Amino acid sequence: MKLTRREFLRRGGALAGMWTGLSQLGEPVLAFLRTRGARWPWYRPDEVRITYNYCDMCMWRCGMLVYTVNGRVVKVEGNPKDPKSRGRLCGRGQAAVAHLYDPDRLRKPLIRTGERGTWSFREASWEEALDRAAEALARLRDQYGPESVAWFAHTTGDFWFGDYLPLAFGSPNVGKPATGLCLTPREVAAQLTFGRGVGGHEPVDWENTRYIVLIGNHIGENAHNTVMQDFARALAQGAKLVVVDPRYSTAAMKAHRWLPIKPGTDTALLLAWMNVLITEGLYDREYIEKYTVGFERLAEHIRPFTPEWAAPITEIPAEVIREVAREMAAHRPQVVIPPGRHVVWYGNDTQRMRALFILNVLLGNVGRRGGLYLPRAPALDPYPHPPFPVEVAAGGCGAAAVGIRIPDTPGHPPRADGVGSKFATGPVVIQELIEPMITGQPYPIRGLVVYGVNLFHSIPNVPRTIEALKRLEFVLAIDVLPQEHLAWADIVLPEATFLERYDELWVASHRIPYIALREPAVEPLPDTRPGWWIARELGLRLGLADYFQWSSIEEYLNTRLMSVGLSLDRLREAGGVFTWPGKPYLEDYGEGETPFPTPSGKIEIYSEALARAGFDPLPVYEPVEEPPPGYFRLLYGRHPLHTFGKTQNNPWLAEVYPENEVWVNDEAAAALGLKNGDLVLLENQDGVRSGPVRVRATPRIRKDAVYLVHGFGHRGSRLSRAEGRGASDNLLITRYRLDPISGGAGMRVNFVRLIQEV
Amino acid sequence: MARLAMLIDLSRCLGCQACVIACKAGRELAPGERWVEIREVVWGRFPELQGAFVPHRCFHCAEAACVQVCPTGALYKRDGFTLVDFGRCSGCGYCVEVCPYQVPRLVDGRVSKCASCLDLVQRGEEPWCVRTCPAGALQCGTREEILAEAQARVAALKDRYPEAQIYGETQMGGLGVIMVLPAPPETLGLPAQPQIPPLAIWKGGVQPLSLGALALSALTSGIAFFIARRRHLEEKRNSQNHGE
Repeated sequence: MKLTRREFLRRGGALAGMWTGLSQLGEPVLAFLRTRGARWPWYRPDEVRITYNYCDMCMWRCGMLVYTVNGRVVKVEGNPKDPKSRGRLCGRGQAAVAHLYDPDRLRKPLIRTGERGTWSFREASWEEALDRAAEALARLRDQYGPESVAWFAHTTGDFWFGDYLPLAFGSPNVGKPATGLCLTPREVAAQLTFGRGVGGHEPVDWENTRYIVLIGNHIGENAHNTVMQDFARALAQGAKLVVVDPRYSTAAMKAHRWLPIKPGTDTALLLAWMNVLITEGLYDREYIEKYTVGFERLAEHIRPFTPEWAAPITEIPAEVIREVAREMAAHRPQVVIPPGRHVVWYGNDTQRMRALFILNVLLGNVGRRGGLYLPRAPALDPYPHPPFPVEVAAGGCGAAAVGIRIPDTPGHPPRADGVGSKFATGPVVIQELIEPMITGQPYPIRGLVVYGVNLFHSIPNVPRTIEALKRLEFVLAIDVLPQEHLAWADIVLPEATFLERYDELWVASHRIPYIALREPAVEPLPDTRPGWWIARELGLRLGLADYFQWSSIEEYLNTRLMSVGLSLDRLREAGGVFTWPGKPYLEDYGEGETPFPTPSGKIEIYSEALARAGFDPLPVYEPVEEPPPGYFRLLYGRHPLHTFGKTQNNPWLAEVYPENEVWVNDEAAAALGLKNGDLVLLENQDGVRSGPVRVRATPRIRKDAVYLVHGFGHRGSRLSRAEGRGASDNLLITRYRLDPISGGAGMRVNFVRLIQEV
Repeated sequence: MARLAMLIDLSRCLGCQACVIACKAGRELAPGERWVEIREVVWGRFPELQGAFVPHRCFHCAEAACVQVCPTGALYKRDGFTLVDFGRCSGCGYCVEVCPYQVPRLVDGRVSKCASCLDLVQRGEEPWCVRTCPAGALQCGTREEILAEAQARVAALKDRYPEAQIYGETQMGGLGVIMVLPAPPETLGLPAQPQIPPLAIWKGGVQPLSLGALALSALTSGIAFFIARRRHLEEKRNSQNHGE
């Protein structure tokens, strides 16, 4: 869609046919195209209608003000009252308007007419598509039990398709990418150590910190708005920064020290830091005595892990390791090693996260100013409904805290993801629900409902996913954009974007507990529907009317808000956001009230629970497999203008960053005869090849690894801008190492070689 | 309004490009059109590297070469910013040629560069880029305020970045965008002393000459038109005669 107003005028006659075609896309798209051209001056305040929302361009959920003029959304801004956005948005949030008016959006329910995977569909009415979908789901439930249907859900509508409808339906097999493909090891490690999860918003007390150590944490490239704000301010206030990363990241550019660690050796570094803190007596003795158990065993355990031991492993000089440990201690407790996100690296990730948490604990910073604060969530009652036949097990990064779950609740259908056999504990891990679709073990999964999860860009081992999709009896996909996996669905339901719908309230676990409103700024583009409506219509057709007793979404929201003395109108009057006081610090907890609800009521440095389950009760370092000669370790990460595999087609974001490049160390590239801009294919250890991708020869990465921005290389989609652009890291991640404790899929265990395109 | 300016603190910028998209969205720019871009600059050898994000956008020079060469008056100065009257732009591209920072571009036959958010500032709001910047790297205010802020920031940065300095105080008669640099301008790809192109040639020579050339060509094409038209009418008469 490269047309501009000017070209329209100039070539008006020749474009008449195209214009007719465009008219079918509907008035909003036309309006969008027509008005392109510098708007100066901006609209008068009385022309603009403001509605409240929380952003869905990534899962961070920044509060938004949506500006609408004559039924067209013209701009979004951060909501100044929102504790996350504080009136600001990142580039992706700013591009929400282009997402809403993306001409590629799904606009009709689709029913498959040909082979799966071939995009053979006919358009259907909502009535027919919903009837058929419900019929197929009901048949599977009645014939094989509700557990035979898996539900995959992501983004903010995942409440309806991850946390509500599937539980009413009775399936425990609800997977969110945010668990096994992202946060699970961190959450499980935090549960084991503190008795509480970290939650969606990392509780770093940036405001008061004086010394920051980032480990593989890409602030700036990972453009979580609040974190960027806090991080930039902390540095401006003079906080010192150490960045541990094989790549000279954006954060490393700001660092006082960059430690280009050998990939896979982070736990060795963490153990060596603990060794220095303990052997030199630099840890917070008083804090350890008051709040923790198991310190003596740790002191014994870390004795061999000296900086001299860690130096050849990590390739960081022993002296540097020692100096950083001393600097950390000198700043305690105003020092923090943030837990980070996407921690599924090498399959030993729960142990690494435990090591990271214990290092923080030695510095006495948990619940202290400048360290890790204690978040809190508001308590709203759910809309009254009968008890679910299964318990919530999906977790997810929006979840306030993900509990350690004992695998099977008596009387409930068991989970199919192998918890209790393949791995010990934690929420359902999405990638382990694929295997039962193929092997029928521990029991067959025969149906899949997939909401907002791009199956080929999030779940590793794409050939296996395709095999599973071939075998499923029924696949229902709900999405906004024609992502590639939709080709494999039997029925596709087009959802309205977050700017066009009400949604579940955003109930945030945060330093300041708060709730935020999402309300529609404009009517959904015809013929799309909000997620809550789709879930309700399916529910009613599945005989689950008892779970959907509300007649309108406003009634649903008002009822929930009533439990905290609010209403939609009052929430609007309050500016779309309502906050409560938090209890971020230890001093906010009274005598006999512990912020650490572990079995011992203290921070468990030594984990009895792990010991009982047969795991190392104190973190250990395990070497990881090295790349074979001629191969590089495949690392991946984020670009500040893109989210997962979701935004590559956004007209504005695609314009600024249309395709990824493969980062190769400049000397390593020269040795291969490659230079900047050369096209290469990447081939992994299993012979899987990416599409062509350009080389970015740079000193900013070690010689043993290459790096791709995640989410590119869409193939087989109907995304006109994203299709075929760049290389897909997930396609090359054909194998992963399962974390035996949490079920996280360690994905940095793939190796690629570069093949020059001729 | 007093002479205004913007502050861009490169020591704070995280390169997230929120400003790029906020501007594109707020100013409703055409596809392919961007008034703000961010360039990544990294120097040194592995592992001794340093880096920064450098904005590439109109710096609103006080002695703006683009304004001086603009033949239609589409580019003009107001309150310290270089504004654009897009309706008056003829797309001649002189501004593209003379800008010492290579900022203006032609998009769809019309100049494309930051025309400022003076409309918003006049009603008490901040420019789109400033109000969204998550890193707090941008500010807008009177030029005195901004210079004072920049000086304070540079002073505070000297420990961390010994070569920290202000950029834009004097360049091109003083820029409307004052930058806090963590390193010397040359390292960041900015000219330390941008040269005003030989404007005398443009203003005094080329421009009148080109106007003359324009008039001349209009005259000749007018004559050519009359000749062609007379011929055409003659031919038409002839063919009509033949047709009968």
